[in-house]
Amino acid sequence: MSATDQVAGIAGSAKAPRRLSQVWRYRELLRSMIIRNLKVKYQRSILGFVWTLINPLLTVAILVLVFSHVVRIPLKDYWAFVLSGYFVWNCMLQTLNTGTYIFAEHSRLTRSVAFPSEILVFGAVGSRLLEFLAEITLILVVLAAFHHFRIPPSFALLPVLVVIQVLLAIGLALPIATLSVFYYDVQHALPIALTTLFYLSPVFYPVQMVPEAARPFYFVNPLAGLLTLYHEVLYNGRMPSLALLSGVMATALVVYAIGYAIFNRYASVYAEIV
Amino acid sequence: MPSSTATPAFTPRSSERAVEAAVELRGVSKRFYYYEHRTKTLREWFIRRILRRPLNVGRAEFTLRNFDLRVERGEAVALIGSNGSGKSTALRLIAGIYGPSSGAIRTLGRLTAVIELGAGFHPELTGADNVALYAAVLGLGRKELAGRYDEIVDFAETRDFMDTPLKYYSSGMEARLAFSIAVCLEPDVLLLDEVLAVGDQKFRARCFHRLRAYHERGGTLILVSHELDQVRELCSRAVWLDRGVMVMDGGVDNVLAASRAGSR
Repeated sequence: MSATDQVAGIAGSAKAPRRLSQVWRYRELLRSMIIRNLKVKYQRSILGFVWTLINPLLTVAILVLVFSHVVRIPLKDYWAFVLSGYFVWNCMLQTLNTGTYIFAEHSRLTRSVAFPSEILVFGAVGSRLLEFLAEITLILVVLAAFHHFRIPPSFALLPVLVVIQVLLAIGLALPIATLSVFYYDVQHALPIALTTLFYLSPVFYPVQMVPEAARPFYFVNPLAGLLTLYHEVLYNGRMPSLALLSGVMATALVVYAIGYAIFNRYASVYAEIV
Repeated sequence: MPSSTATPAFTPRSSERAVEAAVELRGVSKRFYYYEHRTKTLREWFIRRILRRPLNVGRAEFTLRNFDLRVERGEAVALIGSNGSGKSTALRLIAGIYGPSSGAIRTLGRLTAVIELGAGFHPELTGADNVALYAAVLGLGRKELAGRYDEIVDFAETRDFMDTPLKYYSSGMEARLAFSIAVCLEPDVLLLDEVLAVGDQKFRARCFHRLRAYHERGGTLILVSHELDQVRELCSRAVWLDRGVMVMDGGVDNVLAASRAGSR
């Protein structure tokens, strides 16, 4: 039998290695949470996953219509360009929005069971990620068949991009979830912030159209780097420069570390507040 | 069976080296975050300004003060006291849901706390899915659950409804299922907070039977309850808390008698 010393409670703040081992101990809960999220979303729905596709596809269609016929963005196969970035943006948007209510939604759970509460955020990121993987698989097929007319070797880099995306999603969702516990303002402010960010990220225009002088500021937004990577790999079908790849990876790691630290700082009090 | 003593100090039994306690709290105090760092929203600040109310009203309230408790393996202990005496807070501290403001807490082996029945349940999921989810919430692996699934379902007597979404369950059925999961997991330490009032008479009798069997097999039980008959039936030792301070710790009959005399 092992003894547990509870300095700040199982649910509380802890140093990184201890947190990691706690999460590992509760991996079964994480798995159950992911399955639950998907089951609750898709059971009793005839069209199921089709609904998940319809919303972003509609937006893609509108963007393509507007930016290839009204405001012209000179890109070959513009639809392929939008397709290779928009689903990434959409995945991020939905994950971050979940962050604003994830703790409130599970308040009964956090008040009555001790578990590392980042599991809730991981679960939300995880279930959305599984959906994203299904989406991106379809997109790969479409791009290979109708844009590249072959399978570009750069597609092999996709797992790396997904890892970066997950790091960013967790690194941003954790502090958003933390703030939302203390201030309900977050759920009002976040949609505004995300709408702004939509225009400040290369979703419907390529990063090459951003003035050279503004680029350093432009890439402060970690999503700009991520989307540029996706455009290189999926749309251009070529390996991104090592500088870009390592730069974005480093940014993602920093965002992840800071986000986790903010979350951890207040981890011991979520159960008392929500 | 270890005898209950009036003092929390523990003297080793036959063996010379001290046996590790199932649960040990030393000098534990708990003050809530809400009191420690009163969240000041801008709106609240304005309202207080306009109404000329003092800006700082959060007097530090302790819900638990300098609490020592040592529960040996295989003991059954009841925490009693009136509302707001800190019983549930003590239980949550032992479970690790809250962190103590000061002091140290140590527990031995697997601990299951049932503070709210079925806290992880989701109404849209089937009974079977919910069993898997709640077991995971309580820290049980898939394989371990597979070995106990039938026992859980039989004990709850919900066999015919396992593929029905939980929202169609009666509240009694839902509570029975939740309780079955918690009690069938056979933890080393089981914490129960006012959850024994579930189901009908027959089910409650079975719960009692089950808990006594768990206790006789060497399980450690810590119980919060207002129903003193339950306390007397299950526990040999009781701890009386009043406004966050331990008043008395000892044999269940003595403590219950004293608390009855004290609260009148």
